[in-house]
Amino acid sequence: MRNFVHLHCASAFSAHYGVSWPDDLAQAAAADGANALAITDRDGLYGAVKHVKACRAAGIDPLVGVDLAVLEEGQNGLEVAGRVVILAHGGGFVAPGAGYGALCRLISAAHDQPRGLVGITLAQLAAAVLDPASGRAVLTVLLGPGSPVGRALNGRKYLLPRTKFLSWRNAMPVGSLVVEILSRLSAPGAPMSTSHAVRMLKLAQEFDVPAVLSNAVRYSCEDDAPTADVLDAARNISPLEKLNDLQPTGQAWLKNAAQMQSVAQEIVHQGGYGSAELRQLWSNTEQLADKCRLDPAADLGWKQPKTPESQVLGLTQPAGMELRQRTEAGLNQRFGGLPGKKLLEVRGRLETELATISGLGFDSYFLTVAEVSEMIKDMGVRRAARGSGASSLVNYLLGISAVDPIANDLLFERFLSLDRSTLPDIDLDVESAERHNVYRRIFERFGSKRVTLMSMQNSYRARGAVRDAGLALGMDKADIDQIAKQLWRFSAGSFREALEEKPELRDFAAQVENSRHAQGGAQLDLLVDLTERLDSLPRHISMHPCGVILGDSSLLNRTPVQPSGLGLPMSQFDKHDMDAMGMLKLDVLGVRMQSAMAYAVREIIRLHPSKEAVAAEGGHHPAAPFINEGGGIDLDAVPFDDEPTFELIRSTHTLGCFQIESPGQRELVGKMAPTEFSDLVIDISLFRPGPMKSNMVKPFLENRAGFTPAHYAHPDLIPALAETHGVTVFHEQVLRTFSVMTKCTLSRADEFRRGLGKPGVEPAIEKYFREHSTAHGYSTAVIDEVWETLKAFGSFGFCKAHGAAFAVPTYQSAWLKAHHPAEFLTGLWEHDPGMYPRRLLVAEARRLGIPILPLDINASGGQYSAERTASNVTGIRMSLAGVYGLSGTELKRILHGQPYDSLADLRDRAKLSRPALKRLAQLGALDSLHHQAQRLTGNTANRADLIAHVNSLPAGKGSKRNHPIAGQLHLPLEDVELGALPAVHPAASMAETVRTELDLLSMDVSDHLMGSYAPLLEHLGVSRADQLLGMRNNSEVLVAGVRVATQTPPMRGGKRVVFISIDDGTGCVDATFFSEAQEKSGPLLFGTRMLLIRGLTRRTGPRGITVQALEAWDLQNTPLLPAPPVLEGVPPTRYHQRGSQQPPYVA
Amino acid sequence: MGTFSESVNVVRSAEGALVQLWWRGRLYDLAAEPLCWYERRPWWESETRMRPGEGVGYVDTQMWRVQVRQDGATELLTLDLVRYRPSDRWRVIKIHDALDEKFKELQEGA
Repeated sequence: MRNFVHLHCASAFSAHYGVSWPDDLAQAAAADGANALAITDRDGLYGAVKHVKACRAAGIDPLVGVDLAVLEEGQNGLEVAGRVVILAHGGGFVAPGAGYGALCRLISAAHDQPRGLVGITLAQLAAAVLDPASGRAVLTVLLGPGSPVGRALNGRKYLLPRTKFLSWRNAMPVGSLVVEILSRLSAPGAPMSTSHAVRMLKLAQEFDVPAVLSNAVRYSCEDDAPTADVLDAARNISPLEKLNDLQPTGQAWLKNAAQMQSVAQEIVHQGGYGSAELRQLWSNTEQLADKCRLDPAADLGWKQPKTPESQVLGLTQPAGMELRQRTEAGLNQRFGGLPGKKLLEVRGRLETELATISGLGFDSYFLTVAEVSEMIKDMGVRRAARGSGASSLVNYLLGISAVDPIANDLLFERFLSLDRSTLPDIDLDVESAERHNVYRRIFERFGSKRVTLMSMQNSYRARGAVRDAGLALGMDKADIDQIAKQLWRFSAGSFREALEEKPELRDFAAQVENSRHAQGGAQLDLLVDLTERLDSLPRHISMHPCGVILGDSSLLNRTPVQPSGLGLPMSQFDKHDMDAMGMLKLDVLGVRMQSAMAYAVREIIRLHPSKEAVAAEGGHHPAAPFINEGGGIDLDAVPFDDEPTFELIRSTHTLGCFQIESPGQRELVGKMAPTEFSDLVIDISLFRPGPMKSNMVKPFLENRAGFTPAHYAHPDLIPALAETHGVTVFHEQVLRTFSVMTKCTLSRADEFRRGLGKPGVEPAIEKYFREHSTAHGYSTAVIDEVWETLKAFGSFGFCKAHGAAFAVPTYQSAWLKAHHPAEFLTGLWEHDPGMYPRRLLVAEARRLGIPILPLDINASGGQYSAERTASNVTGIRMSLAGVYGLSGTELKRILHGQPYDSLADLRDRAKLSRPALKRLAQLGALDSLHHQAQRLTGNTANRADLIAHVNSLPAGKGSKRNHPIAGQLHLPLEDVELGALPAVHPAASMAETVRTELDLLSMDVSDHLMGSYAPLLEHLGVSRADQLLGMRNNSEVLVAGVRVATQTPPMRGGKRVVFISIDDGTGCVDATFFSEAQEKSGPLLFGTRMLLIRGLTRRTGPRGITVQALEAWDLQNTPLLPAPPVLEGVPPTRYHQRGSQQPPYVA
Repeated sequence: MGTFSESVNVVRSAEGALVQLWWRGRLYDLAAEPLCWYERRPWWESETRMRPGEGVGYVDTQMWRVQVRQDGATELLTLDLVRYRPSDRWRVIKIHDALDEKFKELQEGA
């Protein structure tokens, strides 16, 4: 009896329930000699594809099922009455795919119940196990101790379990029901005890239903049992000590065959049966396992891509023919003017691409993407292709991508090749605000049986893990929050290590140390251990931010779907499952910058509704072809050679510009001083882990500036590397390097590139590279040097096509900022696309001299808007939507009633709650009504008096007696109420006003938040951001401000560097904290909002300067602030240039 | 029952089954198939660490109920034992006065 197949087994993908990864489970099963293993995750197939992969790797057969709630009609409608396991039959017993397809449909149905319930009724289950084509049962239901029948048995009742069992046996089709016998060896008589199992076995005998043995596995090994307890606590949101349904024992691990046999013997023996019954139980289990063995290819359609049928695309000819015709037409249109030889080359390229595409059977995929892209365009929504898809001439000719791959020298092989073993995906960026509408249109166009959203797994990271571990231990929530706040971007799995290393955890580490000596109560050590155990376990799935899966009409037989937050169905599979399941996805990513730019363009046309006006305002040529007669700007038609745009970029005032606004990028553009579009492509590609790690930035900048001559390992590499002065930046250059030196094809070279940095394959690649390069006559020295570069490049570098696709919105946003800054900032405020809080852009607006127009009950709308002021400049009007606590309906009523001529009018028609009215008064939104009344009466009351008055109004009555009777005309009388306000209160100070604005708007509009610190800062001798540029390199300075961004990019050498950007009202100071400064600052690093920093200036370029921090203080903790003189007059050499000098990148 | 607890040594057969006990300086033979089950433990109240790889015996305690007979005697004695894991130490925690009727019933099946 060696082989035992576990039929009921939850993986970690049963969120807040299972503990072990599919790999661990499959390996444990195989190590025990089992030849198959089932995965039965709760509520879905979340881990099924990973399980199949894991089983293939372990050399065992996969079984796939689900653990579902059973719904029964109760007093308040459907309610959960228990859980059952349902397994799919394999193609060896029924038509291939029939069992798995039925399982998918069953799970989708279970997620489509009223009131958000997840589960299935007996009637639905009985229908779902049948294959509609053959009428045969293709699923088996396991009735275990947790099923409605098993639960009824867990007591002294005789009749109830039998009645229930009978109704199941009668309802379920022949051959679709078994009884699941399991004992968790709990105390005799308790649930899941051996005696409970005996009662189940007797019932099965009595009704002549086969019984199978299982262990309802939750973890692969015995020592993971406590982790399951913690997950139970997290699932029930309850401390362990208050939890009623803890697992009865810690016996739910993947027991081996011998252990299972001993459990079975125990049950059989206690039941008074003999070895015949034991053999029967064992062989029933084996038979069911055999029935459910799945063949991945036949049952799941493993690695077989499916695309929408040609009739859905409206094709009247084969997809390949259609694709050829359309691309030919595109080629003639876009390249028709090329000289014969060049045109021939382009044609050759098209032939290669078409051959590859049709060779892979992807013709209809490309046509589908083209269809989607065209559809988005017709919706009037901005879109741009991103990623390696821009490398394809076919994509360009179909209008999917706007980047010309010929002009930009992009390689198709980087995107798709016959050697490539993974499916391509094409990424489309759309306006974020329109993304959901785009999704809906895709569903409408292709039908919901062919389209579903992709999901993603959200996993435990350090903060969530420590919160749930603390909850389980019953620790004080405030204490846990305090700890969680200090955890900054490391995996929960290395918590203990982090305690020893990270300066910001120093205080907590000391607490842990102390708790070891304290008497009782303190569980911090245990907290750390449990947090580590939760590391990276899945918590829940949600809609992936961009993935849309497109298939044929069989899609819903291949993936279960459940409702997403958006209401549209979402697959239970994530991106790691796509390739294996042959699912083609289209990434439709919502990009806020696209929305911001679209908004800016609309604001420009609203204020300047003609071509002349826009040209005059933006400083464009009066005949600029990219502006239409009505003043509409076609951003995609703006030429890429606009000098003011590059001037703006070089000035490093790029806050708000796509991809180049981070501190590190501002430093880089300052150094690099781009002058043309291709510089932006290089800039964006340089700012990535690969180039950073392999130290490409410095040599590139030096070669570019002409300080050092470009170096090439061999002259043959000049054509590939000349554009970047000998430095390898792009994936495309890696491909060419491989190809030049080993004479391999570019597609082969791309496979090599993908293997770089993977320990398993890299040695083989190195061997191939060395042998073939030697064979082609390259010296060992050259080979060594080139290999070092390739190796360092890893798989991280950047695809040039991706860089080129990114550079387009980068350039467009900089263009808007250079020519139409007020409208551009308005768009940024409305759609908030950047890495910084909105309030930082207030400082930027001030710096640009753009007036910020306060909230006004009549002038403000529900969106930020550009507005022409009396002095004829364009300012930005605050939006009422930004007011904290103003409800959506209140906002709607205000907008509907605008304009208002008096406070009474506003009260009557907008019917605002008193708190809402008070907030508006506090923010000055009622000042215009007040001033208008004052002009007539000479009243001298101030805003404080107005607030006091509003606050004294009767609450929430809507003042019925003032309500005009229907039909009565509302007379525009003067505002008696505001005209007669008593002037008694002192006016609020600027600091109070700013405080109010921050509380209610999250923005300091009237003055900078730092304004009130001015005397203190002067006293300490603090320098302002706008003064730094005038300072010498390596000057010791004090700076202070509000934190606006924190980054901890991985750096060369592995040492952590923390970048903190602070804003002091005159601009942004980027401070770099190396190890020693991190030590000195400790908990201040991540927890503090207002910082005082002592450091050394570090010049980064003609227009760039940053501060290398030495020490920091919490500006709000006045007692701990240093007393002047703070500057120590450190000798500059002492602190000079420790660690890396690379700017951070944004991954 | 109180907090009675006494050390006991067990003797196993080649197959690992319990056959004899050394208790209070005497040897006892097992007179019937022993009963084994597990009791829940509130580990979070007592444990201070849960290092990777630890965890066996945290969630539950292994319990045994055995009927034993002193060599040559006829009188049966029923004992409850605890086996601590992973150290495999055993303790007697309960001595049943007479043959427990409930126990008998359980042995015969539910």
